Amino acid sequence: MRATLSELGQSLSRNKSMTISLVVTMTVSLLLVSLGLLINSQVNRTEKYFGDKLQVQVNLCTKNSPSTNCIGGVATDDQKAAVKAALNDNPEVKSFDVRTPTDNYERARALLGQSDSGKAQLETLGPDSFPESYFVTLKDAQKYDGVVSQLSGMDGVGNVNSLKKLLGPLFDILRNMKWASWGIAGLLVLAAILQVSNTIRMTAFARRREIGIMRLVGASSWHIQLPFVLESLLAALISATLAAAALVGFMYVVVYGYLRDTLGTLTTWVGWREAGLAIGGTTLLALLLALIPTLVMTRKYLDV
Amino acid sequence: MIRFDKVTKTYPGQKRPALDALDLEIEKGEFVFLVGASGSGKSTFLRLILRETTPTTGRVYVAGKEINKLSSWKVPKLRRQVGTVFQDFRLLPNKTVSENVAFALQVIGKSRSEIAKVVPETLEMVGLEGKGHRMPDELSGGEQQRVAVARAFVNRPMILIADEPTGNLDPGTSVGIMKLLDRINRTDTTVVMATHDSSIVDQMRKRVIELEGGLIVRDEARGIYGYQN
Repeated sequence: MRATLSELGQSLSRNKSMTISLVVTMTVSLLLVSLGLLINSQVNRTEKYFGDKLQVQVNLCTKNSPSTNCIGGVATDDQKAAVKAALNDNPEVKSFDVRTPTDNYERARALLGQSDSGKAQLETLGPDSFPESYFVTLKDAQKYDGVVSQLSGMDGVGNVNSLKKLLGPLFDILRNMKWASWGIAGLLVLAAILQVSNTIRMTAFARRREIGIMRLVGASSWHIQLPFVLESLLAALISATLAAAALVGFMYVVVYGYLRDTLGTLTTWVGWREAGLAIGGTTLLALLLALIPTLVMTRKYLDV
Repeated sequence: MIRFDKVTKTYPGQKRPALDALDLEIEKGEFVFLVGASGSGKSTFLRLILRETTPTTGRVYVAGKEINKLSSWKVPKLRRQVGTVFQDFRLLPNKTVSENVAFALQVIGKSRSEIAKVVPETLEMVGLEGKGHRMPDELSGGEQQRVAVARAFVNRPMILIADEPTGNLDPGTSVGIMKLLDRINRTDTTVVMATHDSSIVDQMRKRVIELEGGLIVRDEARGIYGYQN
């Protein structure tokens, strides 16, 4: 073991620049993979968050509604009954709550009263400026299209909002970010695999005399391969540690320092648990990235 | 100790076999010279004994093992029974004489105490006592070859293969190396030596096997380098 460790030391000092470039490539690729995992967790988390809460909001006509469904002014009782009946009959609808114009006015007062401009806006508004609304909970939050299109066309319905639809672009951005980071990570992982292979080949060439003698005197394949395997594993562990440190820094500065503070009301953000899982996954990936090409290449170049 | 049973070896892309239906037996403790022109099949013969290659047809037995049937993980064990010396010494330039010899034991997992005991004994046997701390480039060619012999013999193999061990040495130094190989042979170690050095073969009067075009054209018990009239 002493001899193997001394060979490892010699090999590392001889391959300093190769090892450093390998560590840098692996670190960046692992970091991108872990960011991809984190974004994936965020997408799941956001979907779950809004999936639980997202409802379709049906606002009936007020006296000022611009919709063509509102030519007759404020929604009549018949129109209200028709909308309620449509909601009751729709198989996608789980339940719905009614919010009166007064309820809506009180909520607006609470929200707008927080700022001066909001207070100024309130002066021109009264309860009759607000519609009667139905907050519809769907059986499947993803299937909002049917309900929205059905209700949008009904007389007395001012507008139908689906927060899911509004937040669609945000989901698209998150998904694209996830695929972009995984795509780049994939390319870098490929680069890392090639670099591991290259390092092995160069080290095997630099040590061809020792390896030749080891073979001749009857050293086992495993004994010949061990310094190479240890070298790759060491590079992988250093890379995984650096990538983990960078991810912890990202969590601390971006997620906890910014997103949770400033955009905390938008959604719930990923936490240390998800970061820990991403770090565990990438550490495992780092070990595989180092071990598989090393074993393949050492078999090719160092087999007895 | 070594047996070739109708061994033919044809390398990929070659029409003519390097060895052609070779039948041969070398007993334990024999000293055999392998002679023949370049390309006659000497190197292939030695590579087969070391199981660096396998025969295309036929069987090769080394130290009781049929090398064709030997799985690759058992090859190192076979090679521990076969020491090898080359014309170009193949010493590690960054290791001392002792470290070069010890290397052969370290890589097969021998204990430090055993290495500390055996290495000086072997250096003394090859006539390098007191030179263990020297670097290879501080030694003469003959001394470097002695280090290579020490490394090949330190694990006390049953067979010693020497591929042109005197090819880079002057005649006087070559005699010293041959005396050393003869001494090793007298410990009941089988020695197979490929050589072009006629004077050595003629002086030693050991068994001579001559190869030509992959065939044995001569096998004499106490032969000389050239044909005897």
